[in-house]
Amino acid sequence: MTEVIIVSDGQLVRNIEVQSGQRKDMVLLVYPGVSCDVKLDVRLAGEGAEANIYGAYVCGGEERVKIAVDMHHDLPHCNSRQLFKGIAGGTSKVDFYGKIIVVQDAQRTEAYQENHNLLLSDGAKVDTKPQLEIYADDVKCSHGATIGRLNEEEQFYMRSRGITLEDARVLQMISFIAPVLENIPEDEREAVAAKFEEAVRSI
Amino acid sequence: MEGLADKEYEHGFVTDVEQEFIPKGLNEDIIRLISAKKEEPEWMLEFRLEAFRRWQKMPLPKWAHLDIPEIDFQDIIYYAAPKKAEDRPKEIDPELAKTFDKLGIPLHEREALAGVAVDAVFDSVSVTTTFRSALAEKGIIFCSFSEAVKEHPDLVRKYLASVVPVGDNFYAALNSAVFSDGSFVYIPKGVRCPMELSSYFRINAAGTGQFERTLIVADEGSYVSYMEGCTAPMRDENQLHAAVVEIIVEKDAEVKYSTVQNWYPGDKEGKGGIYNFVTKRGICKGSGSHLSWTQVETGSAITWKYPSTILKGDNSSSEFYSVAVTNNYQQADTGTKMIHIGRNTRSRIISKGISAGRSQNSYRGLVKMMPGADNARNFSQCDSLLIGDKCGAHTFPYIENANKTAVVEHEATTSKISEDQLFYCNQRGIGPEEAVGLIVNGYAREVLAKLPMEFAVEAQKLLQVSLEGSVG
Repeated sequence: MTEVIIVSDGQLVRNIEVQSGQRKDMVLLVYPGVSCDVKLDVRLAGEGAEANIYGAYVCGGEERVKIAVDMHHDLPHCNSRQLFKGIAGGTSKVDFYGKIIVVQDAQRTEAYQENHNLLLSDGAKVDTKPQLEIYADDVKCSHGATIGRLNEEEQFYMRSRGITLEDARVLQMISFIAPVLENIPEDEREAVAAKFEEAVRSI
Repeated sequence: MEGLADKEYEHGFVTDVEQEFIPKGLNEDIIRLISAKKEEPEWMLEFRLEAFRRWQKMPLPKWAHLDIPEIDFQDIIYYAAPKKAEDRPKEIDPELAKTFDKLGIPLHEREALAGVAVDAVFDSVSVTTTFRSALAEKGIIFCSFSEAVKEHPDLVRKYLASVVPVGDNFYAALNSAVFSDGSFVYIPKGVRCPMELSSYFRINAAGTGQFERTLIVADEGSYVSYMEGCTAPMRDENQLHAAVVEIIVEKDAEVKYSTVQNWYPGDKEGKGGIYNFVTKRGICKGSGSHLSWTQVETGSAITWKYPSTILKGDNSSSEFYSVAVTNNYQQADTGTKMIHIGRNTRSRIISKGISAGRSQNSYRGLVKMMPGADNARNFSQCDSLLIGDKCGAHTFPYIENANKTAVVEHEATTSKISEDQLFYCNQRGIGPEEAVGLIVNGYAREVLAKLPMEFAVEAQKLLQVSLEGSVG
């Protein structure tokens, strides 16, 4: 069962342990106006454990969003996947830190992490620190991080088909966040998607 | 297989030349002594003393992913030179020449075919600089740092410590206080340096440290390719190497800086080896300037090195290509920094780490987009390859963006050589060792291809030698 957490102002600390053969799915959502300091510590503590952590954040004002994830692969045959996507506008400041630690005997590990950001204004700032610390050799680990802007060619394509610039930007941002929202259980997804649409329109 | 596994460090010989030492330890008197030995002007001594006073107040950097045994800075000889005969002969000491021959350095101009001008630094002193007259015709200055201090003081004073300030970090401050020699390069406006410039560093004497200083200035519209190589004898003790390299690239100029670092890495039990703590930094000062770093790191017990570029000029660009190999008990924490200040600046980072044995290999990098870096662009790719289950490979990138038009991309992967690849080679009659060499060379190809011809062959061999004994 996927756990959906709507992050509120302030600190959020979660220590998660996933036992052998179990699976943990989690989606973190940070709406505009929320300044938070999230610390996740996920430990894959049994063979064959699996963790999938997703997150989306939209900041348009003076928010300070800090997200830190430590993913511990302590035993063989564990899988983890992380996907964090966010938009920073206004004078917001986003800090992402994510570390995958694979200990020496945790062979046949597969661990992936991605963090993608859109920077919308001159006043906003995004820092990201994806890290890999790997002591086992039979592993597949990767991370990717980007900080970029909205694609102007896509905007031109849409505008030449009669979509206003504002709508084009909203569409781009919605589709940017969508891969995270897809992981929310169906019955909740629509409500969340509507909230995000409102959020991106507001910034 | 077993026999192959024991290939030893082949540059591990000691040259028997009479050496001149100064006493062990570090204090203001030692610095005055070094400065006096080098017959330096007053301003140079002042520079050293100021650096020393700053260094005394600085803490040891501890942030790297390295396990550095305590270093007794008072137990190091800070200056060692091959002893001068009565009047220093114009010819190179035959023993020394033999050493450089063993290293394959074309010291005599008879090797003119090689087309490489060499400045060779032996312990603390620059021994010879070849091709000087040919270069001088074009107005290019390529000489030892000490000579530059005497003959071109204005240039040295203008640029020294302009990229790496005296108090930049612990080891840079130490270097500024005690640096012995190194190379100085000045390429005048619009001149394209007709040959590759190169310096070879070698630590020979026991109990010494080497602290060289390199300063490269490429004036407007000029071009130079500079190569650097290093070796040291095999000794049980650890020796310290703390260098500073500064590069200034003016408007529309281009500098290509290549390193093949093969300091003695220590033996199989991790005994001995060089501590390589180096600060290298360049500034793309003028618009349209370009600086490219290429490094092949196979040696040293511990490496702490981050060749960096400050992209100040608009439209300037920089590249960093690196292959770092660690085996046995070696440790490496290396990477780069790209600081984007100017508009339309571009940088590209390609780093390939290979760890084997019980070694630890880390990539550490910073990409920073300052608020004024409109339309700046960075792409980083950092891959790690693990050979054996006792080693570690780590990636620590720092990415900071404060400009909405700047785009930064970073990507890293960690994996091992797949069984399939090995099986494929074995099946076709290629032995395991050779197969690993083949795969590693293919993996590092993107970087090796950037090396000047003279270095590319050496680097490929080095990769193979460094990894021998790591499979099977």
